[in-house]
Amino acid sequence: MQEEQEENALYFNQERRRKAEFLTPINTLKTKVGSGGLSEQILDKAQALLENNAIDFQPLADMYLNTLMKGIERARDTLENGENEAIIASMLYPTMQLKANGGMFHYQLVSMIADKLINFLEVIEKADIDAVEIVLAFHTTLRAVVMGKITGDGGQHGKELMDALDDACRRYFERRPDDKDLREQDYSTEF
Amino acid sequence: MTYQFHRISVLVVEDNLPMLDITKSLLTTFGVGHVIGAQNGESGFRRVREENPDIIIADWMMKPMDGISFTRVVRNDPLSPNPYVPIILMTGFSERRRVLQARDSGVTEFLVKPFNARDLYKRITQVIERPRQFVRSGDFFGPDRRRKATEDYGGPLRREDELSDPKVLKHLQEQQSEAHATLKRIREQAGMEKGDRFDLDLKDTDLM
Repeated sequence: MQEEQEENALYFNQERRRKAEFLTPINTLKTKVGSGGLSEQILDKAQALLENNAIDFQPLADMYLNTLMKGIERARDTLENGENEAIIASMLYPTMQLKANGGMFHYQLVSMIADKLINFLEVIEKADIDAVEIVLAFHTTLRAVVMGKITGDGGQHGKELMDALDDACRRYFERRPDDKDLREQDYSTEF
Repeated sequence: MTYQFHRISVLVVEDNLPMLDITKSLLTTFGVGHVIGAQNGESGFRRVREENPDIIIADWMMKPMDGISFTRVVRNDPLSPNPYVPIILMTGFSERRRVLQARDSGVTEFLVKPFNARDLYKRITQVIERPRQFVRSGDFFGPDRRRKATEDYGGPLRREDELSDPKVLKHLQEQQSEAHATLKRIREQAGMEKGDRFDLDLKDTDLM
């Protein structure tokens, strides 16, 4: 009784509306599967299946590249008065799909380039003309990699492409030192 | 002795058909007994109601219902047969704020694409071996999001490397040593023997 009174006093005698209730569900999954993990042999077999899949990435890549191009065109058409976050999102989502799927279907370089573009789109303040030109350069490079069927990481040529794109992004931000404070990420807002 | 995966069912919700096929094939190779597929959140939830799977693996970006909305439905809809079911969210995003967004929707684990067979296996192992407590508060129901216990906490992706990274391992060992030293000190102060049940007031120790 005294404990209850003390607890109520702690919350100004108000009902606790957001009181959290902790629940420990029964681990039926563990009961079903037991212990011991999977053997290395099974994991190797699964990895081999992934590495030898013969799925053609090109139609999928074309679809995402076309969607990315639509995003670029939309950004160009609405440079001054568009919804900035929506415009960036229209370029970001197809890029994310390219990153996610490239590496799954032997095009690791596509994933690497798309990852760099995601990093760029995640930090730009707005989709201005220079930013859109950089996205277009990424798009051109990605299309070239897919059309040229450059699988894997692309070797030395892949590295040179990555370095060139990295330089373009750095130069973009060097020209905008005042934007640095604005690029602080706000984790509290939903995208 | 190995995992008896033939006893479980896994639902994969993915709108990209080649990706759906490849994920299902990986699970079949792992020995999963019943692998179910669905191509968006809506049909995914229908399958959840029909099949009550043991694990769900869902993509984030899907239409008309994406992986985040799907997770919320599975966790909160009265028709959901198991709101506690482990949900592994697949996505190309790896940025911190995206991980936090997924965590806040009630996702259990996060799998960044592209992934390899071992990445997928590790996430499945996590939900089996390290299930998370659930929390029900005013506007949230899902796995406990509060993993941040110390200042040097490395984030929700830390567990992956914690035993292979020598720095992290050393830190964990130091924490363990410190905890042992604290327990020893409490025992000495309270005149307790090792193995005695702790039933003392912290005010009697130097911890308060």
